[in-house]
Amino acid sequence: MGRNRRPSKQMLLLFEALSARTQQWRHGYDLMKETGLLSGTLYPLLIRMTDQGLVEAEWREPEHPGRPARHAYRLTNAGVAFARTAIPDRRAPSAEVCFA
Amino acid sequence: MTLALSRAVMSLASRSLGTRRRTWAMAMEAEFGAAVEDGRPLMFALGCLIAAWREIGKQSEGRLIVANYALALGLLIPMAALQFQQATGFLSAAEGQPFGVPGAGAGPNPYLIWSHNSAIPILLIIRLLLGTAHLCLAWMLVEGDWPRVVKCGTLIGAAMITLSLFTGVLMLDLSPLRAQFAELAIELGAVVVFSRWHIRVLSDATPEPLTPVAYKHLR
Repeated sequence: MGRNRRPSKQMLLLFEALSARTQQWRHGYDLMKETGLLSGTLYPLLIRMTDQGLVEAEWREPEHPGRPARHAYRLTNAGVAFARTAIPDRRAPSAEVCFA
Repeated sequence: MTLALSRAVMSLASRSLGTRRRTWAMAMEAEFGAAVEDGRPLMFALGCLIAAWREIGKQSEGRLIVANYALALGLLIPMAALQFQQATGFLSAAEGQPFGVPGAGAGPNPYLIWSHNSAIPILLIIRLLLGTAHLCLAWMLVEGDWPRVVKCGTLIGAAMITLSLFTGVLMLDLSPLRAQFAELAIELGAVVVFSRWHIRVLSDATPEPLTPVAYKHLR
């Protein structure tokens, strides 16, 4: 039901960041920096996208010993397919403006 | 200072998410280290708190947490304040001339002044006990510690019965307690309703499973 709704600008930003390297696990703080979203926006989006099966989350062992494990995210197959349909829709209007 | 405040905000955010979103609370806490290294811990923690509060309204467990806070702040703490105010009234009555206990009947009855004044210490203790028990009840309710909520409720009930016995025997007048009995009935009724709601939420909620890596992080 939620997937039929038009994704928000913030969600599209997140999709763009995650679909740039679909196989790579990304940490929440790195996604915040890349998209410019604040944690108050990013985490509700990640929670919703995970509930909808668009994003998968996994605990990853820390890169440096002594650090806590971190939660990492990447798009699921359904998420990749959704991103393919959603992201061009967003880019189309700006392309029209450029050519006008 | 900023770091301590950020940690406190982060802890509040984490607690606000409840058991159903425990993994997300841990995920936010795990990223907090990266925010500290980046020099923006407070901004990150405040964002997490906003995210947690946005999630609260979407879950039944979150709504229960908000309702618990509303009951504690809106009814239990004012009741505690009322008890302490009554206790202060006894203290000022004890300091002054023997004119009887304030609020006991329309005016001082010369035949009852002695019994009124001899009742002041025990009534003072009971009022202070009632005030403290209400504060404890509010705290335990917010904490979700239901066994202690039951104990506090029992203590309040026992203290009210004692208070009514003393007031009835020593002052021959229970009219000042009528409103308080009504308030207490509302209060304990609300606590019973909330406990049933809590049981229903607990039976519906299935906490997110923890992976071995997350479990290690939790330890």
